[in-house]
Amino acid sequence: MNTWSYFADPEMLGILLPCVVAGLASAFLCALLSVFVVIKRLAFVGQGISHAAFGGIGVAALVASFLGAAGGTALGSAMGTGAGVSLAQYAIVFVFCLAAALMVGVLARKGGVEADTAIGIILVASMALGSILVYVSRSTIKWESFLFGNLLEVGWLDAWIAIGITVAISCTLYVVRRPIIFWTFDENASRAWGVPARTMQILLMVMLALATVTVMKLAGVVLATAMLVLPGAIALRLSRRMSIVIVWAVVAAVVGVLGGIVASFEAGFPLGATIVCVLTVLFAIACGVERVRGNR
Amino acid sequence: MTQSTTMPAIEICDVTYAYHTPWSKARQASSEYASVRGLDDRGQQVLGTPATVLQSITLNVSQGERLGILGPNGGGKSTLLKLILGLLSLDGSPTRHGEIRVLGMTPNAARRKRVIGYVPQKVEAEMAFPISARGVVELAIAQGVPFWKRVPQASRYLVSNALDVVGASAYADKPIGTLSGGQVQRVMVARALACTPRILLLDEPMVGIDPAGQRHFAELIDRVNKATGVTVIVVSHDIRTVVAGCDRIACLSRTLHSHTSAQGLTPGVLAEVFRHDVSAIFGDVHVDAHAAAACKDPSHAHEHSHAHAYAETCPVAQLEISPGLGQTRGREVGSSGGQSSSGAP
Repeated sequence: MNTWSYFADPEMLGILLPCVVAGLASAFLCALLSVFVVIKRLAFVGQGISHAAFGGIGVAALVASFLGAAGGTALGSAMGTGAGVSLAQYAIVFVFCLAAALMVGVLARKGGVEADTAIGIILVASMALGSILVYVSRSTIKWESFLFGNLLEVGWLDAWIAIGITVAISCTLYVVRRPIIFWTFDENASRAWGVPARTMQILLMVMLALATVTVMKLAGVVLATAMLVLPGAIALRLSRRMSIVIVWAVVAAVVGVLGGIVASFEAGFPLGATIVCVLTVLFAIACGVERVRGNR
Repeated sequence: MTQSTTMPAIEICDVTYAYHTPWSKARQASSEYASVRGLDDRGQQVLGTPATVLQSITLNVSQGERLGILGPNGGGKSTLLKLILGLLSLDGSPTRHGEIRVLGMTPNAARRKRVIGYVPQKVEAEMAFPISARGVVELAIAQGVPFWKRVPQASRYLVSNALDVVGASAYADKPIGTLSGGQVQRVMVARALACTPRILLLDEPMVGIDPAGQRHFAELIDRVNKATGVTVIVVSHDIRTVVAGCDRIACLSRTLHSHTSAQGLTPGVLAEVFRHDVSAIFGDVHVDAHAAAACKDPSHAHEHSHAHAYAETCPVAQLEISPGLGQTRGREVGSSGGQSSSGAP
C-alpha cells in the first residue's frame, strides 16, 4: 500500500497534496469541457491546442534564456530543473495555445484548407518551433515531462492556478449555458435566435487553451488531450440527458484521475500515462454498459 | 388562410446582393468600380468583381400568407433567407442596394423581437446531442431569459402548447437522436412556434423525409397556418415541397418570378429557373409544352393512370428532358384530379 504510506507521511503529504488537488480541479474542468468537445467533434482541435503548447514551451524557454537569472528566475528554474513554475510561463504557453487555436479557425475559414488539415499544420509547426527554440535557448528541459507530466513539478501554485481556472471556467459556462448549449446543438439555427455563434466558438477555444495549460503541467499534453475527450465520450455512452451527461463526465474524470494517481503510486508508472489508461478502461466499460442496455 | 392585415409581413424592395470574391475588395478599393454584376458577356464570373447572388428582387408577402420560394441550388434562396433573418446585411454587400422590412422593422430588429420563427435543414443539427425533443424547444424559448433567472412557468406552457400543435407530444420526452426525420422536423417547427412568431421561415423542410412524411408535414404547416395565422415562407429546390399548400409561389434563380398560384408556374418559367442545372449536361435547353390531355406520347400513358397527392391543390407543370434531342419538354397538368402528373410522392 504505497499510496497510504505516502499520504500518512506528513512530508510526503506536503508534496503529494497539491498534485491531488490540482488533479481533481483539472478533472472537473476538463469534464465540463469534454462534453462540448465530443459533441462539436473538436477532439482533434483539443489535441492540436495541447500539442501547440510545445511551441509555447519553446518560446518560454527562449525568454527565460534571454532574461537569465535576473529577470526570469522562476521561469528559468521551471524550464531547467523542474523545481517550480512561474505565472509568466503559464501566460506564455496559454497565449501560444490560444493563438494556435484561433489560427486554426482563421486557416479553416479564410485560408481555403480543411479544418483537420489546418490543425495538422499548426500542430506539427508548433512542435517543430518548440523543438528549435528549446535547442536555441540551450534549455535542459525534459520533453517526456511535458508529454506525460511530472508529479514532483506540481506545487501549490499550480494547484491554486488550477482551482482558479476551474472556478472561472465553471462560472463562465454557467453564465453562457443557454446560448452555448443551443450553439453546440444547432449552430446554424442558433444564429437566428440571436446566439452570437462566433463569440461562442472563440470562447470555447479560450477555455480549451486554459484547460490545456492547466492539465499540461500536472500530467503532460497527452493527458490534456485525453482529459478533454475521454470523460465526455464515456458520459455520452451512459445517458441521453445533458445534465446527467455532465455529472457522468465529472465522475469519470475524477475516478480516472484518482485511480490513475493511486495506480501510479502503487506500480510506479508515469502519472499521466496511468491516468490515460484508467480513463480508457472506463471508456471500454461504458461501451460495454451501453451495449448491454442496448440504448443506441 | 387567415385574413391579412394592412402591413405586409415582409417587404423586399429592389434588393441586389453580391458577395465579395477573391481580389474584389482590393479591386474595389484600388480602382474605379462600376460594375456590380460581376459577369462577362458569357455569364462567367469576372475575377476581381463581386459575385451577384440576388438581382433586383422585389417581393411583398402579406400577413398570414403562405409563400413558396422555389429555386435551384445556388439560386440565392439561402442568401434571401439570411437577409430576411438579419444574418446577412445589405450593408455588407458591395452593392448596398435595396431595402428589406419585416413587419415594418429592419431584419435585425425583427430578430431581436422574435417575430420570426426559423426551421433550418435538419441535417445541420447535432443529432447525437443528449437532449429530448422538449429540451430542444425549451432551448429556443430560454434564449431571452437572463442567466440568473429560471425559465418562467408560462414559457414552459408555451413549449407544451407548441409540441401539441405540431403533434409531437407523444415523443416529447424522447431523445432527439432517436426520432425519425419527420418527427424531428415537427420538433423543429415546434421550436420555431414556441416563441409565438408572426412569420415562419422553413428552409428545405422536407429534405430526408419520406413521401408520406412530406404529405403529413404539408398538412401540418397548413394546420399551423390556419390555427395561428402565422405567415409561412417555404424555401426549397424541390417543387413538391414548395407547391404543397402554398398560396403563392416565387421562383428564384438570382432574379425572381412571382406567381399568384401554382398554375402560373409554366414550363417556361421552370426551365428558366432550373436551366443552369441541366445546361451543363444537355446544352442550352428550350421548352416544348403541351397539355396533359393532348399528350400523344405512349411512353407517358402510365403517368395519368394513378392519382397525384397534390393534384387538386397544386397543378404544376412537369418538365422532361430529352437527352437525345437536347431539349426540355414540359407538360401543363390540368387542375382536375383525373389528369394528374407523375410527380406523386
